[in-house]
Amino acid sequence: MSLPQFRLLRPTTLEEAAGLLGKHTVRVLAGGTDLIPSMRQKLFEPEYVMDIRRLAGLKGISTLPDNSVEIGALTPLSDIERSPLLRQHYPVLTEAAATVASPVLRNMGTLGGNICLDTRCLWYNQSLTWRKACGFCIKKDGDLCHVAPGGTKCWAAFSGDTPPALLCLGAEVEIVGPAGKRRVALSEFYTGLGDNYRRLEQNEILTRVFLPASSAGYRGIYRKLRIRGSIDYPLAGVAVALKRSNGQVADVRLALTAVNPAPVLVKGATQFLSGKPMNEELAQATGELAAKAAKPLTTSALTPEYRREMIRVLTKRAILAAFEN
Amino acid sequence: MSNEFSIIGKPTAMVDAAEKTTGAGKYADDLSLPGMLVGKILHSPYPHACIKRIDTSRAEQLDGVVTVVTGQDAPNPYGILPVGHDEHALATDKVRYVGDNVACVVAVNEATAERALELVDVEYEVLPAYFDPEDSMKAESNFLHDNKPHNIEKDYHHVFGDPEKALAEAAYVAEARYIANEVTHAAMEPHSTLASFEIDPHTGKPGRLTVWSSTQVPYYLQHKLSLVLEMPMAQIRVIKPLVGGGFGGKSEVIPLEITAAVAARKARAPVKITYTREEVFWAHRGRPRTIIDLKTGSDKDGRITAVKARVVQDGGAYCSYGVVTILYSGALLGALYDIPNIQYDGYRVLTNKPVCGAMRGHGTVNVRFAFESQLDELAQKLGLDPAEMRRRNLLKPPCITINGLRVQSYGLPECIEQVVTRSKWNDRKGKLPKGRGLGIACSHYVSGAANSIIRSDMPHSTVNIKIDRDGGVVVYTGASDIGQGSDTMVAQIASETLGCSLNRVKVVAADTDLTPIDIGSYSSRVTFMNGNATLRAAGEVKQQIAAAAAKKMNCGSDDLIFRDDHVVRRGLANAPGDQGAISEASVSGRVEGQILRGSLQQKRKDEGPKNTLSFEEAVVAAIDFHGALSGTGSYAPPLEARGGKHKGAGVGPSPAYSYSAQVAEVSVDEETGEVTVHKVWAAHDCGRALNPTSVEGQIIGSVWMGMGQALTEEMVWKDGMLMNPGLLEYRSPSSVESPEVEPIIVESIDPEGPFGAKEASEGSLAATIPAISNAIYDAVGIRLHESPFTPERVLAALRDKRSQKKIDMTEGIDPTAPVRFREHGGSLWFKGKGPERHPLDPSRREAAEAGGDD
Amino acid sequence: MKKELIELKVNGRCYETGIEPSKLLLDALRQDLQLTGSKRGCDDSSCGACTVLIDGTPMLSCTLLAASCEGQEITTVEGVSEHGSLAAIQKAYGDWGGAQCGYCTPGFMMTVKHLLRENPEPTEDDIRRALSSNLCRCTGYTQMYQAIKAAVEAEQKGMAAAK
Repeated sequence: MSLPQFRLLRPTTLEEAAGLLGKHTVRVLAGGTDLIPSMRQKLFEPEYVMDIRRLAGLKGISTLPDNSVEIGALTPLSDIERSPLLRQHYPVLTEAAATVASPVLRNMGTLGGNICLDTRCLWYNQSLTWRKACGFCIKKDGDLCHVAPGGTKCWAAFSGDTPPALLCLGAEVEIVGPAGKRRVALSEFYTGLGDNYRRLEQNEILTRVFLPASSAGYRGIYRKLRIRGSIDYPLAGVAVALKRSNGQVADVRLALTAVNPAPVLVKGATQFLSGKPMNEELAQATGELAAKAAKPLTTSALTPEYRREMIRVLTKRAILAAFEN
Repeated sequence: MSNEFSIIGKPTAMVDAAEKTTGAGKYADDLSLPGMLVGKILHSPYPHACIKRIDTSRAEQLDGVVTVVTGQDAPNPYGILPVGHDEHALATDKVRYVGDNVACVVAVNEATAERALELVDVEYEVLPAYFDPEDSMKAESNFLHDNKPHNIEKDYHHVFGDPEKALAEAAYVAEARYIANEVTHAAMEPHSTLASFEIDPHTGKPGRLTVWSSTQVPYYLQHKLSLVLEMPMAQIRVIKPLVGGGFGGKSEVIPLEITAAVAARKARAPVKITYTREEVFWAHRGRPRTIIDLKTGSDKDGRITAVKARVVQDGGAYCSYGVVTILYSGALLGALYDIPNIQYDGYRVLTNKPVCGAMRGHGTVNVRFAFESQLDELAQKLGLDPAEMRRRNLLKPPCITINGLRVQSYGLPECIEQVVTRSKWNDRKGKLPKGRGLGIACSHYVSGAANSIIRSDMPHSTVNIKIDRDGGVVVYTGASDIGQGSDTMVAQIASETLGCSLNRVKVVAADTDLTPIDIGSYSSRVTFMNGNATLRAAGEVKQQIAAAAAKKMNCGSDDLIFRDDHVVRRGLANAPGDQGAISEASVSGRVEGQILRGSLQQKRKDEGPKNTLSFEEAVVAAIDFHGALSGTGSYAPPLEARGGKHKGAGVGPSPAYSYSAQVAEVSVDEETGEVTVHKVWAAHDCGRALNPTSVEGQIIGSVWMGMGQALTEEMVWKDGMLMNPGLLEYRSPSSVESPEVEPIIVESIDPEGPFGAKEASEGSLAATIPAISNAIYDAVGIRLHESPFTPERVLAALRDKRSQKKIDMTEGIDPTAPVRFREHGGSLWFKGKGPERHPLDPSRREAAEAGGDD
Repeated sequence: MKKELIELKVNGRCYETGIEPSKLLLDALRQDLQLTGSKRGCDDSSCGACTVLIDGTPMLSCTLLAASCEGQEITTVEGVSEHGSLAAIQKAYGDWGGAQCGYCTPGFMMTVKHLLRENPEPTEDDIRRALSSNLCRCTGYTQMYQAIKAAVEAEQKGMAAAK
């Protein structure tokens, strides 16, 4: 399967990139692990592809004067996974990064790419021939949904591993476009829709990720449901960042992935757990809370009922592990 | 290690190992020819439709397109079985599954060809389609093939003994329905074929055809090409380059192989077609989804008294090997245990899905899963140790089973003892911590079919050997090395027989112009049959050398031993290993390695008789006498091994059977249903391990592939759409969740195998699935009746056992129940019930262009 | 789309070649440079048969645009053997049955080469994790672990002998 024809832009500076973004309609190519397979399947047939791998200054992890941490969007996931700084202060992020796909794909895939990852669905991530045979869907070229027939909403599932961890850490992202820079909370970045899943204009790119100093030092656990121990996208994922003091939960954030069109923070988890000593029943109840926030559909392997059930189990386990370790 | 042999039985690197590790070796897609064009195939978007019209004119007008081939360019039907000539390389009148082959665009490059595919206009008339075999069997109209009423490709009904009576009288009976879902080979190399015609110097028209193809069966390919292209076989040369795995997926002629040749003829240029991974899934030929209703009875001591099996296989749209598959499923109920009464009802059913065919453990795997699971259940009813249950039902060879299979060598008892001992079964079974368990199961497989697909008296393998004055041994074998190491096996047998070193042997393999016929690499026949042919060919040349050497050495040719590059008289002190004697002989025989001059020198120097000759000296002596040396050997299975007389008796018989016993250790996460396989002890009776490294590799690979089918692999269908046509979603296991496999070689030394060798690469697969399911029972007390044992199926069974709130987590465990996807989506459209298609949908656009007002 | 002239540095040699911007590195290697050692096994970036080293890091050549790799050091399986002889890992894969059909082997060679440079004495667990980017359908991976351990030993013996 060859790629569609396109013109390739290879800017070396952010200014140059911003200029090009203003001029052309482009698809941004970073690690390529999401876009290239999708282009083979003709899910995208852009006139221009902008390869941003050479952009200076968007790679690396550094501490800012206010003790917050800045991560360049082009930082490979393998660097995130191995960063001693992140491991020490933001372990939920290194845990999540270490489970993405496979080691080689983590060498290629970037943090920015994982945040911007296209939503996935068994009826969408297929070749042009396949989709033609089946009938096109809302997300690409069609007006029906195979997952929820009769519906008008796209339910493709967001399947990145690091965003739930970043949500737990209260991360913000920097976005550059023709009008300049803006900075938004990651929780505001996703729309909750399967098709227009992110608030990023065609002519914008995500450049940096910021982790607030206040989120440092939380214990972190990421648990992922997948069939193989490597390569697979998550079929359900749970990230937990937890602070304990005096044998009690001082603060906790809980986020889910792969069961909704966006990664979601579980509302009410903080109030539910804060100030309580941890035990199996409490963890179990937190699992129930999380399962209510999960709305899996038949977008991936394993049935929705099972995946929701696993959100319950993985949440319980993640909470207990985060409290104990 | 045995000193009996110098090459046989020694761990040996494959003769082509360096080609593989350096990337220098060429697979079909690595080849190119000057002026080569690329072919791309247009596939059907409908599961069942008549083709009303194909208009290729728009595609042909695209710059860079050379020609478009359709079914009219190659209208002759073909099929791997003589009874199943129901396929066309490109459809002539009907398409029968989503992905069926409609047309082929030939262009200067892949991108152009892909663009042109969008410009081929095809008008279809959509027909009702059948996706479930039990639905399909009830069909009264719109059959897939007009000559197959009720879409039944073939059904067989066998009764041996009196199973009804035996079951009525049995002390214990177990009965259940088992379902094994569909799996595929997923060989790492996608199919690829390059075809090229030479211009005939006399007629000036396309003459001889050469085809390089990733195939397990070059001679069948040559035969089918001849049939479809209407060319004599003598004008067609098929060459098998390195093949990146087959597992049965390349054991018949795949549409691209014919299409490439037809396209090359029409385009008047070499054409290469390489499948995308998705096309490989459509080409398929994998293991069919199988529904097994099984009933087994035993007496109060645990002796099996009867087995009754009804097997329905979802065969897909064409016959392929289907008739053989459904027969193997019944025949291989015998030859593992002693079963006095058998009833078998097998149905091979056609459905509108890609074609199932032969896959590693052809026909036996799914039924073995059911049988070994049920045997475990019976053992539990009896309160008998499952290993002991199996011991009580062993055959007593040499014997002929009730269904006519001849068993000679039978290493199963030792296999069972080996795995029981190594896994510490007696100490650990039933005593592991909660959630962890051990399970045992056995299996067997043929060492080649005693009757070939195309019935004839022709030997199944023939091998030629040539030794010329360079002292090199060239073996010409039709055996197709697909990664299992058959070239190495052939080299080993030749060098052991001739007593020369391995690097003196060059193997020329699988080239229909050069190598004598061998029917292919399938049903684990190559070591047994081609190995025997090699043994005989080498034996013939050896006799010629021995006669000449005996003259020189003044002794009888029977007194000579060929070993370690020397020919020595039996019983003499300077036998091989005596370094002094060897180096002296080498010096006198070789002047700077030049055997020609050595020969002259030999004549002058050697007057009196000698006790030792170097291999080269002996060869020179023989060539001086005979001219260049050549020998031919062939193999045909003996008449006594060819089975009984009942209808369908031809499938199942083999000259020898391999045996396997396995113990699996697993743990089950009771909250998630996830199963982890920690270790598998796998004992395999391969007769004799010619190359222990390869045998162990085959055992481990089989067990591992069985584990894939048991836990992660499944082709998922929604109304004829394959939901996971790629390696990302098909989920062949990665290294992290693959268990440790301890291979244990058991050598029963078969009386007819080459050096006693039998099958090594398929028989182990079938035991793994039930060993795992039985271990899951030991761990958490649930019997799983549907494979793969995905976490959701395991969890559903656990909840069912605990009578907990049922979460409906499995889809249609009973295939007669409505498939849930039909209720909430999927391609409802096919049944005319779905939502309207989008105006931009190509099928609507095409309809509009065709004159519709839609 | 018009072809553009690019320069690729592969196994220490520079190649100038005209390619379309949409050409994948794997296709450029196989079709334009005739380096057919790297294989295509899937179309969804999941099998690892096309793995090459980009500036020393294993990456999938089927998921990189050839033009994106300009200016980077590309190492393919053809660049693994040393002075025309098999590298220790290549020899060991042959001896221990690490390669059966051999189609996935080039990808594994690159992954293992990288593993042993980063971690000269890997545990079996390290090896399993490092190999989990590449799919093999023949071996069940076990004999690869033995081969890698043997190669590590051979390297150590070689180094000891050189001292």
